[in-house]
Amino acid sequence: MKMRKEQQVFVVSFLAPAFFLYTAFVAFPSVRALLYSLQKWDGLSIPEWVGLRNFYDLFGDSDLFVAALQHNLILMAFGGCFTLLLSLFFAALLHRRVRGATLFRVTFFFPNVISSVAISLLWVLLYSTTDFGVINGCLELIQRALVSANGHLSAWGLPQLPVIPFDLPFPFAGTKYLIYSIVPMIIWMSTGFYMVLFLAAMENIPETFYEAATLDGATEFRKFWHITLPLIREVLTVGLVFLVIGCLKLFDAVWIMENQWPQKESHVLATVLYQKVFTEYNVGYGSAVAVLLFVLVFLSTLLTLRLSRKEAIEY
Amino acid sequence: MTGCDAIHRIPASVSQERVVEVAMFDAGYGINWQQKIAEKYTAEHAAEGIRVRVWGDQRVAEIVKPRILRGDPPEIIVITNIPMWLLVRAGKAYPFDSALDKPAYGADAPWRDTFIPGTLDTFSSGGKVYAIPGAFGAWCCWYDAKQFREHGWSVPKTWAQFDSLCDQIKAAGIAPIAFQGKYPYYAWSTYISLVQRCGGVAAINRINQIEPGAFSHPDAVWAARLLQDSAVKHFEPGAMAMTHTESQLEFVGGRAALIFCGVWLENEMKKSTPPGFEMRTFTVPAVEGGKGNPRLFNGQGGEFLFVPADSRHPDLALDFCRYLISPLNAASQGATSGAISPIKGGTKRETLSPALQSAMDMIEGAPGIFTERLTFLFVQWGDQNLVPAMSQLLRGEITPEAFCQRLDDGLTQIREHPVPGSPIPDYRPYDSAKFGESP
Repeated sequence: MKMRKEQQVFVVSFLAPAFFLYTAFVAFPSVRALLYSLQKWDGLSIPEWVGLRNFYDLFGDSDLFVAALQHNLILMAFGGCFTLLLSLFFAALLHRRVRGATLFRVTFFFPNVISSVAISLLWVLLYSTTDFGVINGCLELIQRALVSANGHLSAWGLPQLPVIPFDLPFPFAGTKYLIYSIVPMIIWMSTGFYMVLFLAAMENIPETFYEAATLDGATEFRKFWHITLPLIREVLTVGLVFLVIGCLKLFDAVWIMENQWPQKESHVLATVLYQKVFTEYNVGYGSAVAVLLFVLVFLSTLLTLRLSRKEAIEY
Repeated sequence: MTGCDAIHRIPASVSQERVVEVAMFDAGYGINWQQKIAEKYTAEHAAEGIRVRVWGDQRVAEIVKPRILRGDPPEIIVITNIPMWLLVRAGKAYPFDSALDKPAYGADAPWRDTFIPGTLDTFSSGGKVYAIPGAFGAWCCWYDAKQFREHGWSVPKTWAQFDSLCDQIKAAGIAPIAFQGKYPYYAWSTYISLVQRCGGVAAINRINQIEPGAFSHPDAVWAARLLQDSAVKHFEPGAMAMTHTESQLEFVGGRAALIFCGVWLENEMKKSTPPGFEMRTFTVPAVEGGKGNPRLFNGQGGEFLFVPADSRHPDLALDFCRYLISPLNAASQGATSGAISPIKGGTKRETLSPALQSAMDMIEGAPGIFTERLTFLFVQWGDQNLVPAMSQLLRGEITPEAFCQRLDDGLTQIREHPVPGSPIPDYRPYDSAKFGESP
């Protein structure tokens, strides 16, 4: 059916702003980035066409890119998985109406209203090796208590308790351990958001399903496994995609905790990109990282969606 | 009166005003001194319609980089986190030579001759000077004289004495050395100082001339061993996870007794230093059996200023630089900003704090200065080779030999794959004999 002219004007006038904004701020820069990735350019002189050389350099010239990618995968594997499991666990608990559910919901969601930069700075202080470091402070208290207890135990001829097996204060935020130290931060920061997401999906499940399962003698775990999980699968998939994208694009935590100076042991893909372009003025190399990051995000999202593609379950 | 009226009624002389915009790094030294000098210069040139506007920011590089790229830069920019050699190669930096040959403000000599020898070399190439120092930087070890007196410690003259001092400090329950571990670059200046102490300026020449095996030379490996030994034994626990602010707070808080840093430390920590803290410096101690003259120190210009080629008023910019960094205004620099002037004899001791006076003792007693130039020349080498290798060396995870080999490997890459059209700038080697060292 053909649209009338007024309808066409109506449709175009609604689509045009979004179209122009998307073209100007997403499509055009993306195409430019793709072109830059095929050039050697310092941002000042005339760009030189080098074909796929920048992509070759990513893998051949230095292992920086591979190291950064590994770090993203570590964050995804540990940070992503724990976040998913914990948020599911808490959502299930709140769904089953534990006491103080609203308070827990607000408390868990709270980190989401704080900017990621502020959160990173907060964790820098938590991990600090100076007197400000709460975590090291607690560990030192524990260590002292263990040593003191061991003194008494040995006097009584009893076996010793194990003590903390590393020197304190431990450099959690040091370059070498930074990636692993970011994992708890990601979990703390993200769990609340996914919990709310999953909880919203769980609250759409009719109560009658659970009542029927209870009459059949199903345990809480079986109800979760056979009713809750299948019925929130679509939302779960969305959450998984968000987590994968978030872990691949992670930038601010590393950038802040490394004081704008990440090293190979702490780089992730986004910090490599930034450092190459804005510190070393290697725009071509940085753009190649950006292109590969886009491809990785795209493929990961596609894979996640494909793996979880099943027909919606209806009871 | 409406806004439009106001615009129409601007006097002709004001509308023809020429503004010299100066972008500064607002950190350790602040920008008060530059602003005061700018006001004075503006007042003196009011009739010509010249106005100097100084602004500063800790992230000045991020602000000016896009402006440099789009051809609309400030007239004068401080070099901090700006790849200067890239700008020089791209023809984006204005040479200072025409101004350097003019008489200096406050002296009869040409401006060029008033600088501390060697400080104009950092950004010189092809006989031209592309940046001038806005301050003078020297690398030294800081301590609290009061704490030393109370414990009966004395300033070490040799590295063995330094090592023994650290043991005494540790025995007193204080961490010997605070370190800015988040920035392993901070150990680089100490390392370069030790290279000179071990191998003399000849070893520095080998590095600056990018000679094959410059770092694998026994003198450079020896220096790496001394540094690693000191780091592993004497760095404050947890130092490798500390920022410069955290570690410097540990020092002024008395929890660590020593810290290696530049002469800006006192001004940077002014607000956090407790009353009674007697901040003083000593130079990197001599190494027993080393070839280097221990009176030399690792120093160079700092807070370099350059005039972008796209500046609207390059001549005015050069003139203001000549006015700012001059014998006429040098004395007020130390008093206002706590910085040492790069002008020869320009800093008056009586205007300085006791901490900076102790730094002046080191500076005035030295027959010369030395510095390395690789980190300015090869930013990528610094990021990819030096920093990770230094970090591992300090944590004791690689041997000094492996550390030096990694630095050499990075330089081999640079030699084998030079950037087309970007020759390595000239280098005037240090003269061992002139510096009191045997060649």
